[in-house]
Amino acid sequence: MPDSNGKGGKNLSGVAASIPAKNLKRRPFHLKEYCKGCARCIEACSKSCISMGTEINSFTGLMPVNFDLSNCIGCALCVTACPEPYALGMGNSETIEDTHYAGAASAVSDPSAGNIIIPGKYFGKDVERDDTGVMNADVEDIPDEIIPLPESVPLVIKGTYASAIGALLAGCRHFYGYPITPSTEGAELMAKLMPKLDGVFFQAVSEVATVNMMYGTGGAGMPCMTFTSSPGFSLMLEGISYMIGAEVPGVFVNVMRGGPGLGNIAPEQSDIKLVCRGLGHGHTHALVLAPATPQEMLDLTIKAFELTFKYRNPVIIAGDGYLGQMTGKVTLPKSMKRPGVPKWAVYGDKTHRGNLICSIFLTEKDLEEHNLYLSKKYQQICDNEQLSDVFKCSDANILLIACNTPAQTSKGAVTALREKNIKAGLFRPITLWPFPIMALKKLLSGGTIQQIVVVEASEGQLEDELRLALNKAGINKHPTIAHVRRCGGILPSVEEIVQRVCSLQTEIENSEVGR
Amino acid sequence: MSNNSNDTNTNGSAGSSGEKSTNAFYKQFLRYAHGVGLKGYSTHYCPGCGHGLAQKYLAETVEELRIKDNTVAISPVGCSVFLYSYMDVGNSQAPHGRAPAVALGHKFANPNASVVSYQGDGDLASIGLAEIVFAAQVGIPIAVVFANNAIYGMTGGQMAPTTLTGQKTTTSPYGRGDIFGQPFKMAELIATLDGPIYVERVALFNAKERAKAKRAIKKAMQLQVENKGFAFVEVLAECPTHLKMEPLSAMKWIQEEMLPIFPLGVKKDVSGEGKGINVITKFAHPNFGPEKLLSVVNGGQNEFTPRYAESFPTHIAKENIALKFAGAGGDGAQTAAMLITSAAINEGYDSTHIPSYGPESRGGTSYADVRVAIEEVSSPSASTPHILVAFNAPSLFKFAPSVLSQGYVIYDSSVVSDVGLLKLSSSIKLIGVPFAEMAAKLGNPLVKNVVALGALQAATKLYPAETFLAALRTNLKSKPNLIELNEKAFWAGVDAVKISLR
Repeated sequence: MPDSNGKGGKNLSGVAASIPAKNLKRRPFHLKEYCKGCARCIEACSKSCISMGTEINSFTGLMPVNFDLSNCIGCALCVTACPEPYALGMGNSETIEDTHYAGAASAVSDPSAGNIIIPGKYFGKDVERDDTGVMNADVEDIPDEIIPLPESVPLVIKGTYASAIGALLAGCRHFYGYPITPSTEGAELMAKLMPKLDGVFFQAVSEVATVNMMYGTGGAGMPCMTFTSSPGFSLMLEGISYMIGAEVPGVFVNVMRGGPGLGNIAPEQSDIKLVCRGLGHGHTHALVLAPATPQEMLDLTIKAFELTFKYRNPVIIAGDGYLGQMTGKVTLPKSMKRPGVPKWAVYGDKTHRGNLICSIFLTEKDLEEHNLYLSKKYQQICDNEQLSDVFKCSDANILLIACNTPAQTSKGAVTALREKNIKAGLFRPITLWPFPIMALKKLLSGGTIQQIVVVEASEGQLEDELRLALNKAGINKHPTIAHVRRCGGILPSVEEIVQRVCSLQTEIENSEVGR
Repeated sequence: MSNNSNDTNTNGSAGSSGEKSTNAFYKQFLRYAHGVGLKGYSTHYCPGCGHGLAQKYLAETVEELRIKDNTVAISPVGCSVFLYSYMDVGNSQAPHGRAPAVALGHKFANPNASVVSYQGDGDLASIGLAEIVFAAQVGIPIAVVFANNAIYGMTGGQMAPTTLTGQKTTTSPYGRGDIFGQPFKMAELIATLDGPIYVERVALFNAKERAKAKRAIKKAMQLQVENKGFAFVEVLAECPTHLKMEPLSAMKWIQEEMLPIFPLGVKKDVSGEGKGINVITKFAHPNFGPEKLLSVVNGGQNEFTPRYAESFPTHIAKENIALKFAGAGGDGAQTAAMLITSAAINEGYDSTHIPSYGPESRGGTSYADVRVAIEEVSSPSASTPHILVAFNAPSLFKFAPSVLSQGYVIYDSSVVSDVGLLKLSSSIKLIGVPFAEMAAKLGNPLVKNVVALGALQAATKLYPAETFLAALRTNLKSKPNLIELNEKAFWAGVDAVKISLR
């Protein structure tokens, strides 16, 4: 700024020239490019040193106040009344004169070019140090520690327990939750075990609070989890969207139950659509793991913690009410984990001070860039993390596709069908998102499969995922897709599957005869 | 503003003014609009906005207490959403209203951090009511700075829960009244709760009140440094833009209009009474010892139970046996089912158990499906079981018809007297044993499920008796005085079947 105050160039921009008679050691200085002219300082000054501005600042379009320090007593009340960080400060009159801000301000001829004296230097900031809120490039991850686990007898526990114990083994010492049937036993076990490990069990005021506590703890870089069931999971979706946007890890175990609405507490695969396609607002995806046995509840929970930190993205474990309640044999792994602290964490210590957990990208270009970055991450997940299992598929004509408990039932059906000399097999997606299309594609290319039968406890949610995956993979010619569906809390039975497949087999044979 | 005494530990060398920095603001605000030009050094707040002052006092406090490194600030949604652009601390930006929950998440992750949630009135007193009230009541140490300006700023001047009666906003164009109730007095409400140790309402409209505001914010943060408890500071903040006033008029408005509704002062202060003693520092060092973890998850039971079965009970089914236990809550159906599963796994088989209950917490139906498989349980339900154990008449009549031919139906004959109406295939063995009566004779009605297990063993030879007894003993390890009674009950069940089959 040229000397627009007309008081000579030896003083701070906007500060009245006349040095007070008392030659105060300390007096206010005013950087008028950062003054919005709110006049709070005018109200604060008992000596009427400050007056409303009379001139619009050409850089800011605002009208900064005017100072005349003739009567200033150095009380600093104007400074404590100023809402701006860098508009008004107290300084040593000699050094401030030396800094000659009026001259410096004239460098603000082109603010957009960044040709600006950093005002912080007048406020005691070390302007050389990079304290602008950028992650310190030198900071490294404090790595996880893998600790061997002594051999132990297999546990006989229910699915939710297995998942909780899996979390403990994966280094999770922060559990947040809200009671909801049929997932509550997992939370109850955590309530029992966490205190014994000086870990945190906290029953939140709601599922909404639960997911936000996870946002906090996950944002601090610590592994955390919750157990919930369909209606509760619905409530968590907003927070999951924020976690995905801000790249916060966390593991959600959704023990799916009958819906919509309150539905009932019996098992349904009611949220496949939600976990694969509906994780809150915006461009969201998360890895979805679908265990089928209590053992897998443990194994996949451990895997979920690994993946959630690998990708800095929430991971969902979609179980069903049956699986959550089902007791079975669970063998513990050979090792456990003590988690480190990732470099990006807002942990609340010196090392991580520059970090930020945030899903705001205010400018359109930034947000587009962020979404493209997320797309790339999702693609990496699709390329690298597809998981599936097969059962008697090598010579199968009829391919059952099912996950969770219906997959176990389908296994029983495959066995029963094989006894009837029908060559059935089972393809079991373990990741629902990404759908394990690569393995399925290979299976279908074998050429023996004539019919696909999707077995699910929902009205076609898994089949939709299958069809979308086939389409996206460009597999336009595939065996026809039939289904066995139950819902409302009823799972498809072995008998239903066998019956359906038998009638399909008859159709296939008839069409072959007719050919 | 005396700052020469503040030897900051975080700012390195002094600036050219020869003084140490007096606040924890970033030197440049890169996170807002990329800090381009002059925007890089000024806030986004309108002229005269109270947020700027409240945040300045917070930034000064953080510097004065030397806690930049250990502070985590939670930015809310609302005008103060960009707090993270300004404060040189750990920053986390929360969804609308959820800042206290996010703050608790950070505090639990690192109990040694000082966590402050900065929120506006829409955020805290409307959408986030549950979170703030709950956080305050549990009293975990966090500080909350609550800017009350009686209006929604960021969305453009809508009615807030703190909007005054009669106050016109874009969503109360005729003045707040009618169905919208009275302004929410948050400081008073929070002060009624047990958790908070310090609650004060302050204002910014004159030098005296500003000094108090700064002191209150500093006290709230000091309590965090000491990890003492939940502290809440409500700041009456000016929003000149949406009050459609000059800043000085807005200050006057607060003094004249808001103060009668929102009186200033300390609403609660028990911070000196030894209350709010920190209970969460133990979470700073959770246990990761493998032995400890094992003992916690298996309850100290880490001995392999011996095996007694010589082969899979193929006389019941080739490789996959289905059992159903059915009764009312309290009959012990689930425990009996659980023992079958444990015993199967001890013997090296695979087994699953699925309970299903009626919606009642007590006294409703209680069914259990058990599968025992030589290799892997494929279909875990037992809709057509090989073995049914029924504890009452409804269960017996409901499930007996689904039992497979060559199967077994074992029921409590002390509560089911007439089975004449049951039309079962002649290949099904129907065995009545008075579980309840026998248990009562043994002195404890609760062991009727163990009597049933004894009956099941004798009738079906699912596993050798020793297998059952080993599973029972393992199950009762923590209650050894009950082992004898349970063994007696088991043998009583065995004997009853032997007699009935004789």
